[in-house]
Amino acid sequence: MNQDIHIPALARVEGEGALTIRLKDGVVDDILLNIYEPPRFFEGFLHGRYFQDVPDITARICGICPVAYQMSSVQALEAALGVTISPEVRQLRQLLYCAEYIESHALHIYLLQAPDLVGYESALSLAADAPDLVKRALRLKKIGNDLLKTIGGRSVHPVNTCVGGFYRWPSVDAIRALVPELEWAMKASIDTAKWAATLNYPDFEQDYEFVALNRIDEYAIYEGDILSSKGKRISPLDFEKHYIETHVERSNALHSHTADHGTYFVGPLARFNLNFKKLRQVARETARGIGLKPPLRNPYKGLIARAIELVHSCDLAVELANAYQPQGPSFKEIKIRPGEGIGVSEAPRGLLYHRYVIDEQGLIRFARITPPTAQNFAQMEADLWALAPTVVKQPQEEASLSFEHLLRSYDPCISCAVHFLNLKIER
Amino acid sequence: MNGSIDGAGKVKPGIIKIIGVGQSLRGDDAAGLSAVRVWVETFHAESLPRGVQIELAELPGIELLNMLDGTCCAIVVDAVQSGARPGTIHRLTEDQLESFGGGSSSAHGWGVAETLSLGRLIAPTNLPPELILIGIEASQFSIGEVLSPEVQSSLPEVAGLIEEFVSATLLHYQN
Repeated sequence: MNQDIHIPALARVEGEGALTIRLKDGVVDDILLNIYEPPRFFEGFLHGRYFQDVPDITARICGICPVAYQMSSVQALEAALGVTISPEVRQLRQLLYCAEYIESHALHIYLLQAPDLVGYESALSLAADAPDLVKRALRLKKIGNDLLKTIGGRSVHPVNTCVGGFYRWPSVDAIRALVPELEWAMKASIDTAKWAATLNYPDFEQDYEFVALNRIDEYAIYEGDILSSKGKRISPLDFEKHYIETHVERSNALHSHTADHGTYFVGPLARFNLNFKKLRQVARETARGIGLKPPLRNPYKGLIARAIELVHSCDLAVELANAYQPQGPSFKEIKIRPGEGIGVSEAPRGLLYHRYVIDEQGLIRFARITPPTAQNFAQMEADLWALAPTVVKQPQEEASLSFEHLLRSYDPCISCAVHFLNLKIER
Repeated sequence: MNGSIDGAGKVKPGIIKIIGVGQSLRGDDAAGLSAVRVWVETFHAESLPRGVQIELAELPGIELLNMLDGTCCAIVVDAVQSGARPGTIHRLTEDQLESFGGGSSSAHGWGVAETLSLGRLIAPTNLPPELILIGIEASQFSIGEVLSPEVQSSLPEVAGLIEEFVSATLLHYQN
């Protein structure tokens, strides 16, 4: 194969962009991951807005992980305003996050990545041959969206979250009514993990630096310190000192590196590897049952890590839904003051960092949003370099598919990192 | 869920749903959302007719199937790009929809057309027997909350179409 490869439109990935693999005498000469949209749009868009509008605006960035945007932003703004939320609010936010993990992981596992691993062009062709599998996916996704709607008021973009808590408590009956379906989801998620273990994953492992939130007392999703598989543990307050974003000329997205210029990997594999012992017991047992143990170094196996997290999230959701008993006001009264705050949570795709500066009127004067996909860009490129020498020997179409499969395994969400991806291989 | 028979032997309608689809932060991609808002403000500012619901579904992806479940008829309004004059209003069938370039780039590649195809394949009975698709030809998807003037000026006509459909459907069930 002597032509460069250009993949102009990557399917099943959010957004717009392009990947070009340039070859010289049959050898990889350059790899360009190109993103079209202007960086930092949303940060600019937030400038001058009232702080309480931020959770709703940032939630509109993505149809798949709006909760993550809300959770990181409200925590950052609560820190800036010196607000401490009640334990009941924290638990309801955890339950809301479970809802997002269920709908997002069900979507990615079955409908975005699985078609690649079982040799189907799309979820539609998979659905034609394996309707029961896709029905399971849709039912799992639905329970996630139903829970999201019950807590957040809408099934796609929740509107109930506010700085200080929730605008109103969802009714106990409405939450409890979801328990039977969540219990079904729990069983279906175990079946999902067993099925995921039977898929054929490409043989590709790298020595990654994994980075994820970490807590002593729980599998960190809502909040935590930042832990690296190289042993470094930092406070979220120091994130920008240790994880540096630089603008890459060919791409509108910023690329992140560690302070010593290394690439790093955030997302389900990172969480699974760093926090395995903190998973709910049933999730750990499911992992052991399918012979899975950390560390996983194959990016395609992010799918199995998601399946284990699905078990974890369903189990936690059942417990939180059964225990839900709202007490007191659903939000804290806020006294506006100027300040700066940081919020970090684990979006389904990985660590999501927000920092805001608010002025004395409560208006946003500065916003920094570092989404997981932007943090993984440099790692994705490094993986493409590692994969390319063997792949470019394949026929054009096959080669393009191989690159697409790798990138999709990351579940990139470019509408948050800006927009994604058209792939081009110039021979 | 189609119309059902009540105790008096009359046909009661299922839910009639009007769904606006689009990304509200990307220019004309918000056309569908805006059209549904204009319809409500113009014709039903006080309250929606009984049995009629709206959804302002920004990037629903596959969740669109759940939104349609339990409806007897629905209208989905979305931005489209077909090369026609911006602001052109298209009445589409599901088959035609596939030949139109996206409006809402939607959740991870799941646009309205692909989502409906999946629904027809997996659970066709959950889709309403009557599904009307209205596409509004977009001119720009640049970042921001402003619609282009052509799209903006098409909204009253789209609202009129929605109202026509809703009145006719309600009348059908009342008679």
